[in-house]
Amino acid sequence: MTTAAHVPSDVETYLARVRAALSDVPAEERDDLLAEVEASLHETASETEGSVAAQLGPPEDFAAELLSAAGLHPSTEPPAAGLRETIERLAGSRQVTTSLRFLRELAPISWAVRGYVAVAALALAANASWSTSHGAVPRIGNAKLGAAAIFVAVAASIALGLWNRGVARTRLPLAVLNIVLLATLVPVAVHLSHRAQPEVATRVFIQTEPVPGLAYNGAPVDNIYPYSRDGRLLHDVLLYTAAGTPLNVGTTAYDPYRRILATKTGRLVYNAFPVRYYEPGTKMVLRPGAGPKVKVPHIATPPLPAPKPKR
Amino acid sequence: MDRSQLLRGTLDAAALAVVAEQDGYGYDVLRRLRAAGLTDVGDASVYGTLRRLYRAGALTSYVEPSDEGPHRRYYGITSRGRAQLAEARTAWAEFSQTLSTLLETDVEVTA
Repeated sequence: MTTAAHVPSDVETYLARVRAALSDVPAEERDDLLAEVEASLHETASETEGSVAAQLGPPEDFAAELLSAAGLHPSTEPPAAGLRETIERLAGSRQVTTSLRFLRELAPISWAVRGYVAVAALALAANASWSTSHGAVPRIGNAKLGAAAIFVAVAASIALGLWNRGVARTRLPLAVLNIVLLATLVPVAVHLSHRAQPEVATRVFIQTEPVPGLAYNGAPVDNIYPYSRDGRLLHDVLLYTAAGTPLNVGTTAYDPYRRILATKTGRLVYNAFPVRYYEPGTKMVLRPGAGPKVKVPHIATPPLPAPKPKR
Repeated sequence: MDRSQLLRGTLDAAALAVVAEQDGYGYDVLRRLRAAGLTDVGDASVYGTLRRLYRAGALTSYVEPSDEGPHRRYYGITSRGRAQLAEARTAWAEFSQTLSTLLETDVEVTA
């Protein structure tokens, strides 16, 4: 007698490989994604012939597309380890020991900074004024004395550091001093960062001159060619804004060749388009039908009823 | 240009539009998108997009048992999703009009 072993279906095999490809995604999100995919894969399989893989492509590609569409990026970090483990692993790593040794060699820099911070903190505490030309130097009497104080303090701090280096454990008074100075580092840094900037606020205003007359996307428009829906170029079309302002062009510069329309009373009309020009010395427009070469689209929308003439 | 490239930026709007019409589960949304003419939309793209829209609060979801297989997770549109869809409609209308104009007319001034 043979017992029918559970044979994983095509869908389950595919799903397992998608799951494997999503192993870097946080568990909760992965389960949601897979639940979404599973139900859909069953339907895909039931509605299509052939294997799911043939229909959907390699599971790894499917998983990548899924992640990209879901806006998820697989985390590159290894699975979460305990904090202690992480610290121990970090401390043991070669890069860290090298960096620590390097930092030790750089210690004299921190001693120098400590010397400066001591003076700056005392000056801040005493509400001393600061040199205007060198913002980092407090005036102790004057700026020169302030600079001298910094120099002495830096030298003393380095000497302290060297003296302490020989012992295995930092001496207590020095440790206390270090902690106090560390606490003052913040106000000193804030003070310095304010000093570093010039006190005069600089504001830049960018203003663009509006184009006089007509403009389209900021570029001046000096002519308009209206076409009817059946592609005919129209003449003498008067254009107005919604407020009834005529869209006049070229009202300021007199152009003897421009064909300017006029009313019976002699009022000139500057908002008639397209603007045409006479042949020099005549009152004739040579090519009244000239216009830009445009392909007027075939309009399928039914026309509106023709408006009644105003006059 | 490849249609699938065009599709990528617009799938959010398409999926929202389909779900706004009627709630649907993953495969159902996919089928309706394909039936609407987006034949080359990828399965995984649709499922991923639905999950992302859900996470962003544009869709809500609920589970319904199915006779044929695993439970189906249905998606419905939220008010945030509707706002996003309305925004996408406006942006698309403007964009498609601009592009149609650009692609249809070749302006060459001779006057």
